[in-house]
Amino acid sequence: MGAESESASVSPLEAPASWTAGLVRRTGFAVRASLGRRDGRATFAVVSAAYFLAYAVGLDHLGLRGDAVVGRSLSVDVAVASDPLALLTRRVAPFQYEPVALLTVGPFEYLFAPVNVALGLGLAALVGVTLAVSVVAWRGPAACRIGAGAGAAAGVPGLLSGFACCGPTLLLVIGVQASAGLLAVMQWFLPIAVLGLVSTLLWVGSRVDPAAVD
Amino acid sequence: MDHTRRAALAGIAALGGVGVAGCLGGGGRDSLAGGAVGEAGGSEDGGGSGADDGSRNGPPTVDTAYHVPYEADTLVTKSLSGGVGQDGIPSVDDPTFRPIAEVTYAEGVPVFGVTRNGVTKAYPQHVLSHHEIVNDEFDGEPVAITYCPLTGTAQGFRRGDTTFGVSGRLVNSNLIMYDRGTESWWPQMLATAIDGPMTGATLDEFRVVWTTAEEWAERHPDSLVMTDDTGYVRRYESDPYGSYAPLGGYYARDGTMFTPLTWPEEGHTKSVVIGARTATGAVAFDEETLLADRVLTGTVGEDGASVVAVADPGLSTGYVYRNPDDLTVEADGDGYRVGAEGDRFAADDLPLEPVLAFDAMWFAWAGFYPDTAFVGDHTGAGYGR
Repeated sequence: MGAESESASVSPLEAPASWTAGLVRRTGFAVRASLGRRDGRATFAVVSAAYFLAYAVGLDHLGLRGDAVVGRSLSVDVAVASDPLALLTRRVAPFQYEPVALLTVGPFEYLFAPVNVALGLGLAALVGVTLAVSVVAWRGPAACRIGAGAGAAAGVPGLLSGFACCGPTLLLVIGVQASAGLLAVMQWFLPIAVLGLVSTLLWVGSRVDPAAVD
Repeated sequence: MDHTRRAALAGIAALGGVGVAGCLGGGGRDSLAGGAVGEAGGSEDGGGSGADDGSRNGPPTVDTAYHVPYEADTLVTKSLSGGVGQDGIPSVDDPTFRPIAEVTYAEGVPVFGVTRNGVTKAYPQHVLSHHEIVNDEFDGEPVAITYCPLTGTAQGFRRGDTTFGVSGRLVNSNLIMYDRGTESWWPQMLATAIDGPMTGATLDEFRVVWTTAEEWAERHPDSLVMTDDTGYVRRYESDPYGSYAPLGGYYARDGTMFTPLTWPEEGHTKSVVIGARTATGAVAFDEETLLADRVLTGTVGEDGASVVAVADPGLSTGYVYRNPDDLTVEADGDGYRVGAEGDRFAADDLPLEPVLAFDAMWFAWAGFYPDTAFVGDHTGAGYGR
């Protein structure tokens, strides 16, 4: 309640630092409160997991195994790069890094790229927590002053960032012809998405009445 | 490079016991600007010791330039990023092989076959689509086997004591290679440097046969085949662009990913031609037509020099020869009879002067060579397989 009073009473133009600190505290409180509820935790877990999988598919790190070679019958297979420590920070494309291991489980393949796992988990956590706060607020009393649209807004940059690393491949899928300008813009998808997610989270957090979340 | 592979049954893995199942282990240049080749240019005989010696020499070049109907500066201006940085797509510098008889590929899986210096090797398309360049050796001769998925072109080059890498840039959808000795840019299809100290120089190129694994294995049962033990891990059996067996995705679609230098006036963009260029011009033979008709004749260049293309049905490919005397070339079984010669010749061994040729998607050929001659009918994507 204190956070709400502080941020509500301070103008962002008169005292931007104080206003921002209040906004962050208020959002942090909303996040903690949301994750303290069962529906909030469930939303966070499901959305984060789903997003991480979508991110891996978007990178083409996760997918179905091809069938160029006949007769392979291993149900579990792990292949490791020759020098994984040297390769793991090797940049392949903007925000895309070298995989160091390939895990095959039945018909599925997963390329393990540690840096992209870290990026994917970070993005997934941001999307998950934003939607968790949105869902809790949406299910809460009208005093929260927030609707389901906030959740949808949070998902947009998340979806955008899911394809941040595979621009040309994405264009191939949707059949759009690439240009130098479009490719240049696509290189910024991931930072744009992070910025959008953080902004959305702060916006959602600012509209939650902490007293109504409990 | 070692490439460790551990394998176990799922049930064992579930118990935390993932066991180790094994370790797999003459003419002049016409339009291209650039002037004299810098001192960094490679020697005629090239040669060298391997992939990683850090030499600043460029690759070997030849005196006879190919027809290139664009200025180098224009091609550099028209180049764009493919979405990855230099070496973002890593070349394979230490390839490993095993006998092709030990591997069973699915029907129609493409391979790029090379016979050189008494050594026969095949490079699976699905592996090269993830690396595009293999810096290899044939009985001690350093070569680069290169493949561009977006233009459907596989070409071989002598590389001397340098290696080639993927620049990350494209022109006319075609891979721009760079040599690690001089950092000059070499669009693969043109085999001609467009930027850097070797601008205007022409690579020493040799034939790479685009065929299928089963056809290559039947013709060359003792051939080696490159494995996916490249030092890197990729989803090698998943082509990010599409599929050749069956034909699908980018390889079948009429659209292109990038705008070509010039759109062809007619024909499916992804139909396949056997393209050949000389010092004065270029000619494209529709491959599906060639495989059906066995022999096609045409002309190339401003002087209208006669050329003949013959199919090799066993490898589903074709070869191009100069035919200045317009000798009659007729199919006879799997081979050919030429003029009054009584002997029968294999498609790759006619008693005529060969012109280097390779498979290419029609839009890519027409984009680089808008003045190309075309022989045959315009057919659909692929080459009728």
